[in-house]
Amino acid sequence: MNSLSIYVARESGLHRLNPLTKFVLTLCILLGGFAFSSASSGYFILLAVITPLSVWGQVTKRMFQLVFNISWPLIVSVFLIQPLFWGAGTPLFEIGPVSPKLEGALFAFKSSGRILYVMANFILFSLTTRPDTLMISLKQAGLPGGLAYIIVSTLQLIPQYVAKANIILDAQRSRGLETQGNIITRARALLPLVLPLVIGSLLEVEERAIAIEARAFNSSRVETSILEIPDSRTQQTARIGMIIITILLITGKFLWLS
Amino acid sequence: MAIVSLQNVTYKYPLTDAPVLKNINLQVNEGEFVAVIGPNGAGKSTLCYTVAGFVPHFFKGELMGAVEVAGAESSKSNLHEWVLNVGLAFQNPFNQISGAKYTVFEEIAFGLENIGVPREEMIQRVNDAMKLTGISELADRSPYSLSGGQQQRVALTSILVMHPKVLVLDEPTSQMDPIGTREVFGVIRTLAERGMTVIMAEHKVEWIANFADRVVALHEGQIIEDGKPQEALTSDVLAGKGFGISRYTSVARKAKEIGLWKKDKLPVTLEEAVEGFKNV
Repeated sequence: MNSLSIYVARESGLHRLNPLTKFVLTLCILLGGFAFSSASSGYFILLAVITPLSVWGQVTKRMFQLVFNISWPLIVSVFLIQPLFWGAGTPLFEIGPVSPKLEGALFAFKSSGRILYVMANFILFSLTTRPDTLMISLKQAGLPGGLAYIIVSTLQLIPQYVAKANIILDAQRSRGLETQGNIITRARALLPLVLPLVIGSLLEVEERAIAIEARAFNSSRVETSILEIPDSRTQQTARIGMIIITILLITGKFLWLS
Repeated sequence: MAIVSLQNVTYKYPLTDAPVLKNINLQVNEGEFVAVIGPNGAGKSTLCYTVAGFVPHFFKGELMGAVEVAGAESSKSNLHEWVLNVGLAFQNPFNQISGAKYTVFEEIAFGLENIGVPREEMIQRVNDAMKLTGISELADRSPYSLSGGQQQRVALTSILVMHPKVLVLDEPTSQMDPIGTREVFGVIRTLAERGMTVIMAEHKVEWIANFADRVVALHEGQIIEDGKPQEALTSDVLAGKGFGISRYTSVARKAKEIGLWKKDKLPVTLEEAVEGFKNV
């Protein structure tokens, strides 16, 4: 599948769930997680909620790979910066002016847990949900069709435009355009590379509009879908249940705090 | 009976002074295959867009005269209803792929989804259309992983599946390599044989001579020739105006000047040329 999507096809129960159920689940895990404020709650959600779900979806390994690849620079910098710039607190050690604080390290630990669970949460969702089926479900739930089309087609078209950009790069280089060297040379090369891509794309927009209009895109009839998206009473109830639990968790936290 | 009828059609794009189509009168009968030829800028694409309803509904501008298809008038209709009568496919196959679908099968179903065809019927129609155009084996491929010729056949199938009464093709092979051209013309030949009403703008005269019933020549927005392919494509009216002329016609015309071509009619295809030169 030549698309920006990271979707991985598997025959799992999680894959078969209605995309809307997974969407609601993902949002509920995201928001519900913030109702827990202990330092290790992020890790707890990651290990006790998201990891079992990923096992169900048969994508655990891929999920942790992606989470690691995306989050390690963030986590490393959080652990470097927070302890060092934590105002007053218990020093861990002192080397000249450098004195990292214990409280900062704790805060970094807590933030990292949150970073990890939020990322894993969205990555798991993307790994197990085809963007087009999600858009069909969201459309059925009331999202405007034009918006859904823009989202799905952009995911597919960006790789096509990257390929086109590379062709333009090669074409301009073969005419002697300098694209390597110092920053000024590179800046000068930008215009002859970007202009053909942008103008070409603008012209294409009109043709693509004609092509989808020729297929009755703006038809006022009620749309149907070639993909069958399974849904059930149980899943509908589960969606409402998840939303209620999340609302209770969040309001509970605020009531308890006040 | 005429299924397509253009009466005194004159059209100007927005922000331009000169009309692109000037007083066009054209009747196309049901089941007729009409090829539209003309040099660049003659108004071929605009004529295609006019029959397909994109002029004036999409491009706006000023349309005078009447455009009728199957008894309905274009100016009184909506584009999204009009396209159910008239299907349009054009040059660039890449831009005709919707981008919203992951497989060829789903891509072809896109139009049927938009008009709310029930799923069972949709699957049936997509399968039938793919069989007709010979692309059944591509069903599960990504539309973006295909060659130009394959993509163009997918684009054609995506329109055919909607069962239009008239098919408008705007130079469907102009961006194809020879293999792609042959693939796409193979599909067009099937449609012609099945009695589909087709209006096709096209440069490749030797292909046109093979299966068009009629040729309409456009020059500077006006119809200057309208007749059987053999006569229209070899007509003297077209000479010196930048029309694509078959190399066999050119050779025979030269041969006629020096008395080598004895027949009255000039050839368009290789077969006709061979036939004519046999007696030399």
